[in-house]
Order: sequence, then structure tokens, then C-alpha cells
Amino acid sequence: MNQQTRRHFFKNTGLGFGAIAFQSLLSNEGYAAPARDYRIKAKAKSIIYLHMAGSPSQIDLFENKPALKKFHGADCPQEYLEGKRFAFIKGTPKMLGPQFDYTQHGQSGQWLSSLLPNLSKVVDDVCIIRSLHTDQFNHSPAQLLLQTGNSLPGHPSMGSWITYGLGSSSQNLPGFVVLASGGKTPSAGKSLWGSGFLPTLYQGVQCRTDGGDPILYLSNPDGFSRNARRLTLDALNELNQMQFDKTGNPETISRIAQYELAFRMQSSVPDVMDISKEPDHILNLYGAKPGHVSEAESAADPRVLYKGDDPTFANNCVLARRLVENGVRFVQLYDWGWDHHGSSPGESIDETLPIKCRQIDRAVSGLITDLKQRGLLDETLVVWGGEFGRTPMMQNNARSELKKGFVGRDHHPDAFTMWMAGGGIQPGSFGQTDDIGYYIAENPVGIRDLQATILHQIGIDPHKFSFSYQGLNNRLIGPTDDGQVIKGII
Amino acid sequence: MSIQPSNSWFICIAVIGVFAPNTIRAEVDFNREIRPILAKHCFACHGPDSKARKADLRLDTKEGSQVDLGGYSAIAPGKPDLSELLNRIESSDPDEIMPPPEHGEPLKAPERKILREWIASGADYQVHWAFVRPQKSTVPEVRDGSWPKSPIDYFTLAQMELRDLTPSPEADRDLLIRRVSLDLTGLPPTLEEADSFRDDESPYAFEKVVDRLLASSAFGEHWARMWLDLARYADTKGYEKDRHRNIWLYRDWVINALNNDMPYDQFTIEQLAGDLLPSPDNQQMLATAFHRNTMTNEEGGTDNEEFRIAAVKDRVDTTIQVWMGLTMGCAKCHSHKYDPISQKNYYEFFAIFNQTQDKDQEAPFWETSSNKQKSEIKTLREKISKLDSDPDKEKDLVSLRKRLKNLENQKIKTPVMLELPKDKRRTTRIHQRGNFLTKGETVEPSLLPIFGNQNSGKSVNRLDVAMGLMEKTNPLTARVMVNRIWARLFGVGLVETEEDFGSQGLPPTHPKLLDWLAIEYQDQAWSLKKILRTIVLSKTYRQDSKINKNSLSKDPNNRWLSRGASFRLSAEMVRDQALAISGLLTTKVGGPSVMPPQPPGVWKTTYSCVDWKNAEGPDRYRRAIYTYLKRTSPHPAMTAFDAGSGEVCQIRRVRTNTPLQALVTLNDVSFIEAAAALSQRMNQSSANLNEKLHNGFRYVLVRQPDKRELDQLVNLYQKLKTEFDSNPDSAQKLLSYSRLKIGDPALVGVANVLLNLDEALMK
Repeated sequence: MNQQTRRHFFKNTGLGFGAIAFQSLLSNEGYAAPARDYRIKAKAKSIIYLHMAGSPSQIDLFENKPALKKFHGADCPQEYLEGKRFAFIKGTPKMLGPQFDYTQHGQSGQWLSSLLPNLSKVVDDVCIIRSLHTDQFNHSPAQLLLQTGNSLPGHPSMGSWITYGLGSSSQNLPGFVVLASGGKTPSAGKSLWGSGFLPTLYQGVQCRTDGGDPILYLSNPDGFSRNARRLTLDALNELNQMQFDKTGNPETISRIAQYELAFRMQSSVPDVMDISKEPDHILNLYGAKPGHVSEAESAADPRVLYKGDDPTFANNCVLARRLVENGVRFVQLYDWGWDHHGSSPGESIDETLPIKCRQIDRAVSGLITDLKQRGLLDETLVVWGGEFGRTPMMQNNARSELKKGFVGRDHHPDAFTMWMAGGGIQPGSFGQTDDIGYYIAENPVGIRDLQATILHQIGIDPHKFSFSYQGLNNRLIGPTDDGQVIKGII
Repeated sequence: MSIQPSNSWFICIAVIGVFAPNTIRAEVDFNREIRPILAKHCFACHGPDSKARKADLRLDTKEGSQVDLGGYSAIAPGKPDLSELLNRIESSDPDEIMPPPEHGEPLKAPERKILREWIASGADYQVHWAFVRPQKSTVPEVRDGSWPKSPIDYFTLAQMELRDLTPSPEADRDLLIRRVSLDLTGLPPTLEEADSFRDDESPYAFEKVVDRLLASSAFGEHWARMWLDLARYADTKGYEKDRHRNIWLYRDWVINALNNDMPYDQFTIEQLAGDLLPSPDNQQMLATAFHRNTMTNEEGGTDNEEFRIAAVKDRVDTTIQVWMGLTMGCAKCHSHKYDPISQKNYYEFFAIFNQTQDKDQEAPFWETSSNKQKSEIKTLREKISKLDSDPDKEKDLVSLRKRLKNLENQKIKTPVMLELPKDKRRTTRIHQRGNFLTKGETVEPSLLPIFGNQNSGKSVNRLDVAMGLMEKTNPLTARVMVNRIWARLFGVGLVETEEDFGSQGLPPTHPKLLDWLAIEYQDQAWSLKKILRTIVLSKTYRQDSKINKNSLSKDPNNRWLSRGASFRLSAEMVRDQALAISGLLTTKVGGPSVMPPQPPGVWKTTYSCVDWKNAEGPDRYRRAIYTYLKRTSPHPAMTAFDAGSGEVCQIRRVRTNTPLQALVTLNDVSFIEAAAALSQRMNQSSANLNEKLHNGFRYVLVRQPDKRELDQLVNLYQKLKTEFDSNPDSAQKLLSYSRLKIGDPALVGVANVLLNLDEALMK
């Protein structure tokens, strides 16, 4: 028996983080392994999803709207307001033209605002989708809808779905890693990377870059050396093996393997997380500064503390690349601080948006460039965007006239911009809005379409991929077939 | 022998269901063998949902399946070759075959075969098993009449004998007392308890242990967790802001109710409709907070009506999930495709719950004073009355009176359910496709038809729901609850899909046992303690958990109960056990939630109005049920061991086995402090090293270590001692990290191993 189980043990350890735990889960819980009939040819091996929590203004970054500029300051026509619900706008707001200059870039001649000078340089590698829409106009439900397919909490996130469907290809790292910057985690909190009704094995593992343990509880207690840990694990394994010899419970063997994996993670995770090992020219490419601890981390109210030079997001981008290089399937970045209402200090289009753009512009272009020069862009899908858009009108609940530091826009679910790069996505642009960027004029893309497309690129048929729970065949894209792969960009 | 690592038992069930040898099955059983096939492949378009129905054909009823389709019918009883259904499922023409290729996979050969047999034998339909009232079953005959003790044992043995399995011998007393203590109280036995059980020669020794455990206050603290998962209990309001909510008095209500063995019917009625009882008392009002555990959205600009409706729908879904094990979620948007719940039924039932005063805000509240406040108020009043006649103490009196007034103002406000006054009642209309803005037909409140006691009209209220759930005509309530209790003890329910007793769920492995338990539960006046006592006293429960060759190959996942259950402890038990073994555990029952240590930086969400301050003193070491639960940021050590967030009703937790769990029990400061305290206990227990280690092993596992095990511990201790002796700095650091002024760091390391033993993490 002993030999058999050891073979079983080694066989399992070869399957990596997701696989081994899943194996033991199966034997304990009787959950059927997912049927593989949803697997299709994959364009991408990994996904790096850059979520700008709060939702950046597409009007000031991607939507060059001369007509809106012309109507700047005019009362918003009633036809745009009738029957509408806004989060904050009341009465008749004034139109608010783009606040920054637009110029054309790259061979594709795409219009980008002056806040994105670095993204402009790699714009020919990017597909800009200007016709996204959602049906949620508050942060938390909109983030949840985007990341879990349901606006109420409690459903598996995209990363959980994907690691459940495909497993992890990493031996020593979790398949779904979450990194947060901007001083706070996003509005909907950890529900955004929860595993819902899927086993908790598939929930996102938040890795932290602020000086604490990169993965919670990773470090041995103070004074407990790696050697001491090895000694304890050797004894633990022997004792557990004796236990198995007596009781024959396969879960015991699985537990031995999990403890060994934990031990390996204690060295592999800090190793991957240590971006100071990157050469200077790579760090410069992203604008990363290893070891930096954001001031916002310790601020009572981080919203007023944005510093243009905070490199946390850039550091996370470097880390994201290292993680996908090491086989992590889904890396989710959240950057907090994009909710520019203009109603309180530190959250305006005119003052804060440029600061936030400085924090991410070089980093995202560095990420694309770096992935490309390593030959990884083809197999890594990069997605960038917020949970909804912002209104072409000024938010008027704070003050009705423009005032420096208080220029802001309300939430706008009807039209917004995201971009994707790599992973089999055709560079260029897709979809259009009307002259003032209020409604979609061409090729609307719903949240379900976006999710279907992401699944499709990673090698999953979004319509066939389901998990039976509570009598329903639950899918990321929801119960109806509204969500379709965006054929125009793949 | 080989170990099947994967889904072997899952297949095993299918094998028994579909390809069972003739010795088990005399004729085709519709509910067991046919309905699952039809439900899976056909009901989506040919089922109860009339809107989704294609070709006017329904296959969920006998009449529907035989309807004349123009000279032929889908099913012609006794005539498989004339049955269009078989022609279509066996067709190779993509335009003919059912289900259509875009809807799903074709039926597998064994499925087609059994459908043919069923039609040949007359194509009889049965009502889905779970919708038929349970009948008290007589115990089956068994070959080995000497083994069974309880009726439970006859049912399990009969199934074992059908499969050439034999029961395992009774577990030894050390294992048995550890198992039953963990199962009934969530805490391990003390050595004194274990030793006295081992030495007790009375034939009622085990009964005595069980009765002691059932009477302990730890019982309610343990079993409340199961209920709080269902109640989606949390200490915050959820959604974006996720601010503090004061609802711990409800948690304490549950603990007390279970400790007092409140009958399940009363337990149900008070939680669902305590406010509607004639002159409800304080406790009955607090019980209604059950349905105020729904989330409240305080994000700017949200529509209160939208989230009020989301809360009401949650209450409807949770009620049906918790008491009847059915899913209503889909009926929000369309009639249920598999079970007899139409969209109209859903909104008629919704209409009953749509009449409470709350509207996406915490109010209405029920105000109570805490015990501490009560006793302070009493003391102050006494002091005041003593001083009252003393003119020299006027100044003191003023300040005492002020304090009294303050205290009286600080009553605890708990959100509760309150019905709207008659003139303000809401009209309910169907929400088309589930969207509350697209209103359809107006409906009147009514119980669901599957209650078995239809009741409708304007006057139907939550009290009728609660009474209807507990009527003996209700086919599900008792079955669902006993199955849930069974699952907590045996790791998996007799119906594995605890959350779905509908036609999409899995059938019970032991249908007659399930019904016997359901009736027994009702007959024992819905007493949780009595039904638990009945189960744990059975020989089935008391078996040894060793896995032998025969039982591994024929019963790999113990669904046929040929051995004692052994599976990982819950998140709460993992923590509580470590605290109990080390002697750190604070045994105080109830009170506001506490904040045991968690790593810095975890509690970092956009708007948190309460700071996470790692507790010091007794609150640092309380049972996990008292750990503050913030929905958007649950304690990470709990999450690692599969505890939920309280966002939605959680019917069962899926157990996982991951490296993140290993990191928690190896490194979390709570477990290090427990290891340190355990090392002190070991140190103080003897002057002799071997005895210290021997005792430590027993504190954790109860049983005696064998020689090889003890040798391992001695060997480890000596190696760690060398390590720490040569690194005095490290030794000092470890001691101070684990909060020991003086101690033996090598022994802390050994204790850390003991608390991480597979055997310690399992029961």
C-alpha cells in the first residue's frame, strides 16, 4: 500500500497547485470534474486584467468629441435626461467638453488624449473598444457584474471560473492572483475575487506588495527559521504517513502534499514577488520602484493623497508579468481612485485624473512593450477598463459652475471605453458612440459579450461552460444567450 | 491496492442508478432512473414552464407524454417502437435528433436503453419522491441480525449487505469520545473526560457522555454555526459601504434557542414571524432578525426600492432553500423548468414577504439592554436609592442619575421584521424577467402549492408560511433538516445535494432511512438534541473509521456507511480546538463580536467605519463563532478553511484541502500562541521529556502515541533544541512572538507539529 500511495503522492504533486487540490477535493466531496466539452482552441494562456476601480472618464481619455466641446457649458438637452437615473446628477446639468487635448497616434491614427502619452506609443498593439455598456450604475454592483456576471455578491469571479475550467499551469503558485493599488481595495471588496458556489480553492489569492507577507501567513513565525520549518515538516510528514498506514484515508496523502506545496511556496512566492531582481531598464520601462510603500497606505483618507509618483500600480504590472511567466493563469489588478465626481477634493477630472494617469500610463505601455519583447504578448490577454463610464455632463450636485479642482462627471452606464491587447485580439478600434459620447452609435458591446470574448480567447466556449448548482446550470455569461463573442476584434 | 483519487464514487452512484445489477432492482424506478434523464435532457423545453415549452409537448406528466401529436405520441406505453420519443433520441439526423444538437449532448446508450425498458413496461409516472409525504418505514430485514441496535442500523446494514459490505467494528473509546465531542460541541474532550469514559464499565457509558455533551453550552455555540450559515449572518450590512450592523443579539438568540433545545417548529415560527405572534416577547422579536440579515445598500444614489426588493427576494429564496431544500431563484424570471413552481407561484409567495416596514435601511429596530447594561442599571438604581435620603450626597446623586440616563439611552438596537399597517400594504405585481421595473399581472399572497396545504388570500402572512412549513403535510421540511443534520455528522447528506431536493438534485442513497429519520424527528417533537442523540447512539455512527480494502473498493466515499465518518474539521472547529487544547480558550457565551488577530492590511476596504483592532485579553481567544464577520472582508483564516462571507444563504460548505490552509495552521499567530500555550502545558505536566511529549500528543489526539510516533517527537524535539540552542536570538524571538516570557522554543515547535497533524485536523 505504501508504495502505491507514494506513487500517488508524487503523481499528484506533479499536477500543480490547482490540480492536486482539486484531486483531493474530488475524492472527498464527490464533485465531478468539469466535463471537458467546453474546451476550445486557446489564443491566450494567461490573462492580466487591469481594473481601474471607480471608472475613468472615457470622455477625457479616449473619446475625441469636437461636438461636445462645442456645447461645453450649455444646459444638457432634456431629451438626454428624461427617464434617466443618475447616481448624483440632479435637475439639468451643464455639458462638459473633453478637458484635455486630443491628437492622433500610430499607424492606426487613433485619437488619444494628452494624458496618455505612453499608451499612445504602443497604440498599434491595442484594440480600443469605445462601445461598452452595462446595466449597473453604482460601483459595487457594476464591478460585481463585470467580474462575476451577477450584480449581487456571492457568485464566482471570472478568475475563479477560468482556473476552475483550466486549472493552473504553475507548480508552486496559485492560478488566480489579485493585486491591489491606489491605497484601497475596490468597492465590492473581496466578493470580486470570491469563488461563489465553486470550491474556495478557486478564489483569487491576494498577493500584497506593501511590505507584509506577499501571501497571508506565508512567513514562518518570528524566530522560526526555514531550517526549523523543514525539521517540523519532516516530522509532520512522517507522522502523517504513519497515520495513513493505519487508516488508509487518501485525504491524508493529499494533506502531506499540500504541506509540502506550502513549504515550496514559502520560497517561490517571495522569489517571484521580488521585483528588485529585475534590471533597471525593465523597471524604468514600467516606472516601477521596488520596495516603495505607498503613502496612501497609511493615510487616513487616501483619496486626498494621490501622488503622481506613486509606483505601486507600476510595481504590480511588473509583478503581473512575472506571475504569468511563472504560469499563473489569471492576474487581476485593481487600482483604486478613478471615481472623479468633482464633489470633494482629490477626486476631480482636472486635478486628480492627470495624477492617476501618470501612475498608470507608463506602466501599462511598459507592460505591453515588455510582454511583446519577450514574445509573451501573443499568449497573454491584457484587458484595461473601469466598471462603467462617466457622463458627458458635469456633475452638478456640488456646484453648478466650473471651479479648479472640482470638475467632475457622474457615473454613466450607457457608453464607455475599454481596451484589450494581445491574446489573439486584433489591434485597432471597435464600436462608436454618438457625437457627444452619450449613447452607442455602432457595435454595442455588453458586459456579457466582453466576458464571452475573454473566455473564448482563453480557450473556453462561454456557452457550454457551466457549473450545476442549486438546480441551475450557472454560467459566467448568465442564463441567456445574450452574450456573444465579439467577432469583430478576434 | 490502488487508491482512486478522482470522482470514483460519483461514477459509482451513476452505476448503481443506471446499470444496477438485477439483484438490486426488480423493475424500472421512475423517480430514481427515469426522471433524472428526462429532467436533464428534456424538461428545459418540454417541462413545467409553459412559456418555454416547444411543440406543445410536455414530458413531465403522464398525460402530457401521451398526448396525440397527430396519429402518434411521444410515449406509447408498452410500445417502445411506436414511441416518437425513442425514435427522436435514437435518430442520427441532426434535424430530427433530440435534444437538438445546439441544446445538448445526445443521450448515452444506457440512458436510451433504460428509457426503452421503462416504456416497454408501461411508462408509469410517479410524483417526484421529495414531493410525496414521508411515511414511517418499517425496518428492513437483514442477514446479520446481531449487529443492528438502532433502527438506523437496519437501514444502513440492509444497503451494505446488498453490496457485500460489512460494517466496521466499533471505534475505540478514545476515538469515539473525540468524534462525538467534536460533533456535538465543536470542542475536543479533555483528558479527564476521555479517561473517565475509558474506565466507565457501565453499559450506558456512551449515553452518559452524549447526554453531558448535549447539555453543555458549547453545544449551542457549535450547532448555531450551521444555522448562521443558512441565515447569512454577518456583522456588517454588505454591498459597497459594508458598514457595521448591530445584530449579534440574533446570533445569541440562535445559540440560546439551540441550547434550550427549542423545538424546530417554534424555532421556525419565531424567526419567520415572531412579530406576528400575539404580544410577542423580547426574544420572539429578536428572532425575526433572521430575515434582517439581508444586505442593505448605503452607496450614494442607489434606489432604495431596488435593494428593498432584492432583500425581499432574498428572504423568499432563503426561506424555501432553508426549510424546503428547493431553489426558487429561476422562478423570479420564468417558471421553474424542472419543478412545479411557476413564476406566478413565486410572486404570490413573494407578496407575503413584501409587506414589511424595512426599506433598504436598518430600521425598524428592536431595543434591548445588554446583560451588562442591565446589571449596571440595577446597581446604579440601588446606589441612587441608598443615597437618596442623604442631603450631603446631592452632587454624587446628580452624576449617578446622569450615568443612569446615559445607560438607558444606550440600548442595543437590533433590526427586526415588522409588518406594515393595514392601510399601507403593498400591491405585488409579477416582475417580468425578474426586473422590478417591468411590472406584470397583480397577484395575491399565497403559499406555494408544494406546501401541500394551499392557502391564499389577502390575509395570508408570514405566520401562515411558518405554520405551513411545519405542518406534517409538508413533504420536505423534516427531510431537509434531518438530512442537514446527517451531513454535519457524516460529512455528506443522505441526499448529497442538500441544497436541492427538486428533480435536478441527487436522489437519496437511503430513502427509507431518510423518511424514518424525518418522521422520528417530527415524533420527537422536533427536538434537535433528541434526533442527534438517536443518531450518535447508533452503531452506524460508532463504527471505526479505518478504511479496509473491501470498503475502499466497494464504498470508496463511504456513501454506504460501512465505516465511521472521518473528514476535516470546519474552519471554526480548527480554531476552537487549538484554543481548547492549549488551554487558551475563553468560554464566555454570547456578546458583541470580537476581533482575534488578523494580519495587518487585510482590513483595508473603501469605507470601513470600524477599525480592526486585534483583541487583547480574553476576547483574543474566544470561539470562532464570535469572530467579527465583515461581509466584504471575512477573517482570512476562516476563509482559507471554507467558511463563507454571509452574503447569501449558504446551504453547505464545500471542503477543500489547500496549501493556504497549511500556512494558516503553521504560521497564524493565533495558532502559534496556541502552540506556545500547549508547550507550557506539556512542560508543566512532567519533568521527563518523553512524558511531556506523550502528554502533548494525548492533549491533541486523546489516544496514546505508539512507540514510533513518540520516537518521531523525541527526535524532532532534539533537532529543534539543537537549532534553537545554536541560535539564541531566534529562540528569544519565537518566545516573544508566541507571548511566552520563559519557555522552551523547541517544545513550541513540537506543539506546532501536533496541532498540524492530519489526525488533529480531521475527526
